[in-house]
Amino acid sequence: MRSRISENERLKRTFQGVYSAKAGDDLVDGWQCRIMRRVRQAGPLRSAAGFWPSFEHLVWRLAPVCCLLVLLLGALFMNMDLDRGYDYLGTVTADMERPTLSELYGLEG
Amino acid sequence: MQKDPLSPGDAEIVRKVLDGDINAFEVLINRHKVLVLQIVTKHVPHHEVEETVQDAFVKAYLSLPTFAGKSDFRRWLSSIAVRTCYDFWRKAYRSREIPMSALTDKHQDWLEEVLSGGSVDSRQEESSRGEARELLEYALDRLSAEDRMVLDLVYLEGLSVKEAAVLLGWSTANVKVRSFRSRRKLEKILKGIRQRGRRGS
Repeated sequence: MRSRISENERLKRTFQGVYSAKAGDDLVDGWQCRIMRRVRQAGPLRSAAGFWPSFEHLVWRLAPVCCLLVLLLGALFMNMDLDRGYDYLGTVTADMERPTLSELYGLEG
Repeated sequence: MQKDPLSPGDAEIVRKVLDGDINAFEVLINRHKVLVLQIVTKHVPHHEVEETVQDAFVKAYLSLPTFAGKSDFRRWLSSIAVRTCYDFWRKAYRSREIPMSALTDKHQDWLEEVLSGGSVDSRQEESSRGEARELLEYALDRLSAEDRMVLDLVYLEGLSVKEAAVLLGWSTANVKVRSFRSRRKLEKILKGIRQRGRRGS
């Protein structure tokens, strides 16, 4: 096991040596002109400061506030006394009677 | 690199370019060509360096509106150069334009010698380096573009997983997993070469 690790380490060091020795030769003259030609062909750039980028920026800035609000509302909802609400609803619905057709149309005297 | 205190900073030049002064981009090319050249030379074959350097600078120009100016321009440009190299390999693997290198007995002998811990004679050092380079290229050619880039950055260049992740624009977890797997694949390829050599002798 140990010898395998050292074998790998030896290989790694050798390969790293070869890799770092890769030297960047000078490029052939005119390569810069070729880049500038391609850049000019692409034309002037439009700055990112339009409506959508600034809107996106604003949305991201508001994201933490929204998260905080969701957490707060969640906590509030958890602590709400829901049973009392159900009681009220039960009372209201219990008193309600289904109206008969005669009541609806005022047929009863 | 010594910086002239009177010369405008990179962010200022970027602003000029964004304001429509295209020629100002040449100042950025002059200032950072060595950096881009160094990165590209390490990652792509020799005959593809110039084209890839050009691609990296054009890509940087087109991406200038996204450069926030808060981060370091050199780091931002390095990341673009690394990603351009990655794109090069992706394209090359798709079309298989890069010829696969072949191995000879010399490469297998070299591998045996290095693994057995034998010292290389200084006279043989240069040819030995050539064999090492060819062997490394042979192994890298058999990996995917993703594995190749991760191996280049983490294993060969010695960057941390986090640094490699920033340069490639990947998550740290992705780079960590890929780095582990690609190293395993490299070991497997080298093991295969060794076994073939033993069977041959």
